[in-house]
Amino acid sequence: MNGKINIVLSAALVVCALSVVKGQYQARHLFSDLEIIQQQARQLDIDWAQLQLDQSTLGKNARIEQIARTELNMTPLTPARTQYLTEAAK
Amino acid sequence: MKRTGNGARMAAPRVAASKGVAFSKSPVLAVRLPTWRSRVVLFALFAAFAALAGRALWLQAMSTSFLQQQGKSRYERVLELPATRGKIMDRNGQVLASSLPVKAVWAIPDDVLAEPPAKLRALAKLLEMPEADLRKKLDSDRTFVYLKRQVEMDVIDQIDQLDIDGLDTRKEYKRFYPQGEVMTHLVGFTNVEDVGQESMELAQQKTLVGATGSRRVIKDRLGRIVEDVGLSKEPHDGRDLTLSVDSKLQYIAYTSIKEAVQKFNAKAGAAVVLDVHTGEVLALANWPTYNPNDRSKLTGEQLRNRVITDTFEPGSTLKPFTVALALETKRVTPNTLFDTTTSGRFVIGDRTIRDTHPHGVIDVTTIIQKSSNIGMSKMALAMPPQEMWEMFTKSGFGQAPRFGFPGAVAGRVRPHKAWRPVEQANMAFGHGISVSLLQLARSYMIFARDGDIIPLSFQKVTEKPVGQQVISAKTAAEIRVMLETVVGPGGTASRAQVPGYRVGGKTGTAQKLVNGRYSQTKYIGSFAGIAPMSNPRFIIAVMVDEPSGAVHTGGGVAAPTFAALAANALRAANVPPDSTVTEIIIPEHPLEE
Repeated sequence: MNGKINIVLSAALVVCALSVVKGQYQARHLFSDLEIIQQQARQLDIDWAQLQLDQSTLGKNARIEQIARTELNMTPLTPARTQYLTEAAK
Repeated sequence: MKRTGNGARMAAPRVAASKGVAFSKSPVLAVRLPTWRSRVVLFALFAAFAALAGRALWLQAMSTSFLQQQGKSRYERVLELPATRGKIMDRNGQVLASSLPVKAVWAIPDDVLAEPPAKLRALAKLLEMPEADLRKKLDSDRTFVYLKRQVEMDVIDQIDQLDIDGLDTRKEYKRFYPQGEVMTHLVGFTNVEDVGQESMELAQQKTLVGATGSRRVIKDRLGRIVEDVGLSKEPHDGRDLTLSVDSKLQYIAYTSIKEAVQKFNAKAGAAVVLDVHTGEVLALANWPTYNPNDRSKLTGEQLRNRVITDTFEPGSTLKPFTVALALETKRVTPNTLFDTTTSGRFVIGDRTIRDTHPHGVIDVTTIIQKSSNIGMSKMALAMPPQEMWEMFTKSGFGQAPRFGFPGAVAGRVRPHKAWRPVEQANMAFGHGISVSLLQLARSYMIFARDGDIIPLSFQKVTEKPVGQQVISAKTAAEIRVMLETVVGPGGTASRAQVPGYRVGGKTGTAQKLVNGRYSQTKYIGSFAGIAPMSNPRFIIAVMVDEPSGAVHTGGGVAAPTFAALAANALRAANVPPDSTVTEIIIPEHPLEE
């Protein structure tokens, strides 16, 4: 009787020990995946900042004005040639 | 089988022994050894065990922490987690300053110099420095030399491909300013260590800068992080800052002031645009200016923020304040007449006050419109100095500004007890008192709003600011009418007219103080105005320093700059026109102050 319990408990112990090993292994794997994804998130943050910067640089008023004047032949509008529309009283 | 055979053979002597001599009686074993020998062996064995136990105890109890530390340092790594400096954005979310990761290139000189010259030449080219300079940097006794800081990532990749021994990089950040010289007097700049040096970068350093974090990890054979151990410190990125400035208005202000300085051949110029309702600084432009992205030019004259850190004698732009006081205390009405026909001069003590043109008998409105110094002097002398001093102080002159901008000056209003009559008269038209352009613009709040003044802000305002009443709403309205006549026909600032909009303001021309004397050739022309008049939205103040062309008056140099600025700003902000006049004919020779 005693011998049987010992065998069962030993088997259980081995199973537990192996599952701990496997659990730790999986945890490390997942952790390393998480790390890679976090790295990607940081890179995306940097890309986003870079794009915002590009947007600001390309959307510079000086650049827009220069292109409007030289390439598109536009001129500033004056009130003299503007038709103002006012909403009718309700 | 073999073993059995052996056993049989070995068993033979035992059998023999049992048959003959007993084991204990064997003569071979009969040799008596002295007992102390076994004792010594026993003692030595025990001593060895005791030594082991002692050593174990020592390791476990006494030096355990040191050993654990050593163990950890062999498999744990501490990673530094850098924090990014916060972005600076304008009120519409456009990025004005942003930090991106770059790398500093450093070298161990001896190792690098041992590399073939062709590689060094390529390196010098990539670092954009002459090879001689590179070699000079490497010619050092130190074991660590920065070759170049803030190198951008794509260059770093190319340098990596050269595969030079003794060359390494360190991560750092570089601040980029996409709006460059247009916005720089507001935004400021940082040094190579990413620490704010000027303007908002300096003023908001504490909130912009982040806190670097760190974490302790275990890395595997491939350098991948497999586990976090111990406490990690989270990095905190710096907070983003949203300024009150509007990029579009800023650009308009910048181009207007730049054109004015060039057109009137001036030394410098500055302009500021305030939001009447919130007290936000919508634009603040200076000329000359500088490009914050080019570190080699971050010194000298062009760094000066004339709007905030320079004071000047405002001249006639201060006249409305004395008139407001006289109206408020019911000493005059807009129609009260003053005689200014003293053949263009008025003597107080030993000093003479002059008008450029004799104006005859004129009412208060006309005094403002024509900017009569004599009329102002007479009005001022009827009032106690203390009341005038209080008026100036309440309007913010001589008061330390409270908007947290580095280098902001308080200006100077001398204590009223020391005023002599001639000085009091002078102060009524803005001499003997010094203000910054920003103070001047803010003080016009009391006219643009209904007599109250609100604090200024360089950051976007979300709550409605609480004003402090200085004059009554009625007086403010009366002054607004007068300010509009200044811009109208017959006023000193007819060039300040804006097609489609009603605007108003006051010109000022002040002689500069050179070595304690008023210069006859150096002037500051200024204009402070409100637009549009029907429902004030902006206060715009313009200052042109030392215009050296044919015109030097506020009406001649600052008023047209104001007009250009206001016209574009009103259009850009979609303010509906409140005037039907769409074409303006400005007289050839407008009235001078």
